[in-house]
Amino acid sequence: MKGFVKRFSRELEVVAALAVIMIVFGLIQPIYFSPDNLLDILDQSVINGLLAIGMTLVIITGGIDLTVGSTLAIVIVSVGNFTVMGLRPVPAVLAGMVIGFVLGLVNGILVAKMKLQPFVATLGMMSVYRGVAYLITGGWPVLNIPQTFRNLMDGDVVGSLSSSMILFLVVTVIAYILLKHTKFGTYLYSIGSNEEATRLSGVNVDRNKIMAYAICGVTVALSAMVMLAKLGTGEPAAGASYETNAIAAAAIGGTSLAGGKGSIIGTFLGAILLQALKVGLVVCGVDTFWQYIATGLIIVFAVYVDVIQGKLSAMRLNKKAKA
Amino acid sequence: MPTMIEFSNITKQFPGNKALDDVCFSVEKGEIHALLGENGAGKSTLLNIFHGIYPDYDGKILIDGKKVAFKNANDAIEFGISKVHQEVNLVTELTVGQNIALGYEPTRRGLVDYDAMYQKTDSILERLGCRFKSRDRVNALSTGEMQMILIAKALFHNAKIISFDEPTSALTDREVDRLLKMILELKAQGITILYITHRLDEVFAIADRASILRDGKFVGTLNIKETTKEELIRHMVGRDVSAYAVRNNPLCATDEVVLKVEDLCKNGVFEHISFELHRGEILSFAGLVGSKRTDVMRAVFGADPYTSGEIYIGGKKAEIKSPQDALKYSLGLIPENRKTQGFVKNFNNARNMALASLNRFSKRGFINDKKILENCMYYTREMNLHPADPEYLTESLSGGNAQKVIIAKWMTTDADIIIFDEPTKGIDVGAKAEIYRLMEELVAKGKSIIMVSSELPEVIGMSDRVVVMREGKMMGCLKREELNEEIIMKFAMGG
Repeated sequence: MKGFVKRFSRELEVVAALAVIMIVFGLIQPIYFSPDNLLDILDQSVINGLLAIGMTLVIITGGIDLTVGSTLAIVIVSVGNFTVMGLRPVPAVLAGMVIGFVLGLVNGILVAKMKLQPFVATLGMMSVYRGVAYLITGGWPVLNIPQTFRNLMDGDVVGSLSSSMILFLVVTVIAYILLKHTKFGTYLYSIGSNEEATRLSGVNVDRNKIMAYAICGVTVALSAMVMLAKLGTGEPAAGASYETNAIAAAAIGGTSLAGGKGSIIGTFLGAILLQALKVGLVVCGVDTFWQYIATGLIIVFAVYVDVIQGKLSAMRLNKKAKA
Repeated sequence: MPTMIEFSNITKQFPGNKALDDVCFSVEKGEIHALLGENGAGKSTLLNIFHGIYPDYDGKILIDGKKVAFKNANDAIEFGISKVHQEVNLVTELTVGQNIALGYEPTRRGLVDYDAMYQKTDSILERLGCRFKSRDRVNALSTGEMQMILIAKALFHNAKIISFDEPTSALTDREVDRLLKMILELKAQGITILYITHRLDEVFAIADRASILRDGKFVGTLNIKETTKEELIRHMVGRDVSAYAVRNNPLCATDEVVLKVEDLCKNGVFEHISFELHRGEILSFAGLVGSKRTDVMRAVFGADPYTSGEIYIGGKKAEIKSPQDALKYSLGLIPENRKTQGFVKNFNNARNMALASLNRFSKRGFINDKKILENCMYYTREMNLHPADPEYLTESLSGGNAQKVIIAKWMTTDADIIIFDEPTKGIDVGAKAEIYRLMEELVAKGKSIIMVSSELPEVIGMSDRVVVMREGKMMGCLKREELNEEIIMKFAMGG
């Protein structure tokens, strides 16, 4: 039990914060606790949650991916076009994943092989990808997405659980296993924590970094296709500034922007928490402008908790060293 | 001559290591006073105390008979004590004059008075006989010229004392001549000079007296006119030969050549490096800091590229372009800097030990945590690791225990050839002894070791053979029977 608390301390903190937020909103507005509303929170977390999972992998390597919003736009318009042109849903989804993978691969190569700083490299590609999305449709949205595709990505499956929620849960579990129980995941942490020591241990640092960006591209593609199914249209302007919310969810979940530290469960909870906050403020009738402020404060507070904990553990270490 | 600087009972304690121990000596006004000693003898520490970079120390420093206590380097500069570093540190985007006056620009009505500034800096450059002017950009100048700027900066602050820390290590021969001439010029102008160097020729060329440190203790001050190179070296060596750096078992080197390096060169760094490593041998690389031993090892290991040369492993030509390749040839590297190159900060001991062998601990990409833990438990027992907890973060361990984790990482890969780069740097005596025992066990098992070390006692105590390097060149290869501190220092210093 003690080991469990120690291992998942950050995740438990987010759960506690989530509980506090939900109880406060529930007391103000009991309808907040209705099953429909709770499911709604999960449902609306999916798009940002999928982006944030990919983002977490990249941040753990010490990088960042600012292209997620633009990658989402490319996938949404191209897969939209495929389905409208008559491609069946399953091949369309696979095609979308391949596009996301390739776009992520390009980011990864820029960072790992050409040694560009991740922030600047993906800042540039963010603009490039956005332009590509507009070029694909000539600026127009893709309309009339076939119902079969929409059912596949966001249809009811079991009771009120939709396919998109199940997808989110499945991707979370896969990413968790990838990070905790595979060689690849271990390398991502070690690269983010000490790239030189990892390289000197004979690890192919470049290839693992590139894969992190490519996998991020795939989760972004899944997110794009969920959005396409939900909206029924594919806008080339979709996803603008989505990277900020994805980074926020990861940061709230305890992922360190310095690299080497982070958890998928934390990111999952972070995405839910952001949405729970947003929905709560809406349910309580708070002005939308306040939502921005509340979201921002939560992020700053979450990161500050990390700082304090870092200091505390350093103090404990010092005491131990002196003793 | 009157005394300018008096060091009185200077002691400096670092965690786990006494860098300076009751050092007392004095420097006369207007002399060039050399400060000599092996790597780690305490020269740089003493200089850092003198210049206010380490404000915490015991003892006192008198300048012109008055006690001084600088809180930081700027305090010292304003007092008239400047330092010319081994690494030139300038803002290359600014002009020469702006660099000289940086932070102390003359102003008029709140704005920098560039005319006044350049007039003043130009007059200093003229006094130094420099060929460049204040308005030139620094990035167009050579290293030697940049060093002149540092000297000009000292004069700008009306320095009474200037210290030089290995000023010639990055200069060409002609630049060295010019610098030494200038230092003599400064002396003629009444400035007192403290001069740290590893090059004894320079000491005999310009210095009046030399003070020698050894293991943080003051050994003596000698008059250069009345001494010889041999006498200086004899005073520098003879450190407490550790009772632990000895071979307890008989030497076990065989005739089999496991690694052969032929004419390895890297432009501007090292050249014509050739050596053979035998199975069961400990081959050491001795030399002073800056002799480029680490660069050679990083090239052999594939961590850095090299220009030309060949590497043979087990008699076959080896293509080592990256550490990954090195691993395939069963090489291991225990790097010089544990924290930045050796272990992963957020990883526990179990993961750090397994990092280079994850292929063995995983099946179809999935890692087997149980095997990783068992591996760690095994080496924790074998190496007497403390605390004996596989979940413990390696960064929280003491230096000696962290080093054991890194050694265990390469033992886990079952590396045939392990390069130990300064394996006992910053480690307490007990842990040093344990690391020497581990090295002996490895060669007894038929592994081969290359050790880069600046600690002469351990080089002499542990090695089968020793290659001595100086400034990127091999100066000689000594057999165990020939080893003593004087001969190694003689090769290392080019005496």
